[in-house]
Amino acid sequence: MTKQGDLSERVQADVYWEVVKEALDDAGLSLSDVDGLIGSAPEGLGIRASLPGGAFTDFTGNPLRFHATTNIGASAQSAGMGLAAMAIAHGLASVVVIPTVAAGQAPGYAGADRNDAVARMAQLGSPYEYLWGTTRVADYAVVARRHMHEYGTTEEQLAEIAVAQRYGATLNPLSVNGRRGEITIEDVMTSRPIAEPLKLLDCCLVNQGAGCVVMTRASDVRAQGKHVPVVMLGWGEGHGYLDPCKAPSLAGFEGGRVAADAAFGMAGVTRDDIDVAGISDHFTINVLVELEDAGFCAKGEGGAFVENQATRIGGRLPVNTDGGFLSNSHAGSCGLFTTIELVRQLRHDAGPRQVEGAQLGYAHGVGGVSQVQYGAVYGRA
Amino acid sequence: MADYEKLRPEITPLHEPFWDSVKRHQVELQRCDSCGAFRFIPTELCRCGSAASTWTPIAGTGEVYTYTVVHRAPTPAYQAEAPYVIAHVTVDEGPRMISVVVGCDPTDVHIGMPVTLVYEDVAPDLTLYKFTPAG
Repeated sequence: MTKQGDLSERVQADVYWEVVKEALDDAGLSLSDVDGLIGSAPEGLGIRASLPGGAFTDFTGNPLRFHATTNIGASAQSAGMGLAAMAIAHGLASVVVIPTVAAGQAPGYAGADRNDAVARMAQLGSPYEYLWGTTRVADYAVVARRHMHEYGTTEEQLAEIAVAQRYGATLNPLSVNGRRGEITIEDVMTSRPIAEPLKLLDCCLVNQGAGCVVMTRASDVRAQGKHVPVVMLGWGEGHGYLDPCKAPSLAGFEGGRVAADAAFGMAGVTRDDIDVAGISDHFTINVLVELEDAGFCAKGEGGAFVENQATRIGGRLPVNTDGGFLSNSHAGSCGLFTTIELVRQLRHDAGPRQVEGAQLGYAHGVGGVSQVQYGAVYGRA
Repeated sequence: MADYEKLRPEITPLHEPFWDSVKRHQVELQRCDSCGAFRFIPTELCRCGSAASTWTPIAGTGEVYTYTVVHRAPTPAYQAEAPYVIAHVTVDEGPRMISVVVGCDPTDVHIGMPVTLVYEDVAPDLTLYKFTPAG
């Protein structure tokens, strides 16, 4: 993956090939080995954007056998990990690349300046939401408020999550916020309100960046001898309610439970076996709610679970050790960075961020306002 | 009445009866002809599977299910009114509806607070429904 931050001066296609080739090299493979692609081709002329498989083949001269796109925002590449695994398991592809590349755009987010991005993202909801001046932050703020009401969760408990993840970012030279140094609960509590109870430091970054994952059969990777393979042991998805008015509860999301149960069931391991986790964190409340919904603690106990820096490296369950979307990167389909960090951790290649002896990791990706959720269990082979 | 500079609803035929009822200052929601359940936002089918429904007036009372006070608004027109309260309100008929809470200080809003619907004609062709503290 690239250094995360402002890539507005770069050409998107250049960054695309940079991360794809870096990931292939890391896997001991080359472009000519690739026969599957999840997501977009590099940006270019004409219909390249709508026919990524063909566009990719133009560059490699090696016709792809498999392509899938999941246009579901942050979790697209979390979904893509499962699709790649299914394709490989069924013999539809042998080497699948899964890139996400946000570069060459005007500074800001998704090619818009910050104000336009906030306005545009607000309108991802229905008119029955955005009419009133909702924002993505407000969409999650109502979740936080309801959770606080039902379970006594506090703003300080939410702040614990941001503090723990910033610590990880300070140990991650590719992160956006690492250079800003550590923060305290007090820093989070006194940052300016965005949509109460969420404050600036409860919110994810707005940045560009790129990364790529390569998936193939574990036996193929082992043959390269380059790294200890990281194996996908289980995967699952769960879908919630598109319209918040139709969701039975806004204090949690059933889709998260469905996705996690499927992933853990397939992997045959328990939550207690997990050494390190990557939990989608557009806002601090996401981590707390998703830890509950994914079954790492009982519903309503997320606040107590994250207290005393339990999700910090060295804590009971290190979460988003690279800094997460809050402090590492929220670029493109940023769920992919969650996977990349777990791979580093399970290879024991995370440097000063290493979770000692990590054998099993869990990734939880969400899209929309938690409407779609993906769980994956990864293991050190 | 000044030009309305905030975002406008997209009103397709499915949604027209709702917005027409708002314009009459009497919200009507779809009520399933088969199981009797009210539903919101408008949809083609009830969860019981029936497509038949009747637009039915609601009392306009309910209580706050959750809320947020927005400080960072999506556009300048909204920002001019910040901080403002957006609430999800469970109406007496069952569904939840989202709107702003007006007529009180944002710090007075709390979960469980009883509210009633009020209407505001914001443009010649657009009326909005909002909530205000009951009583």
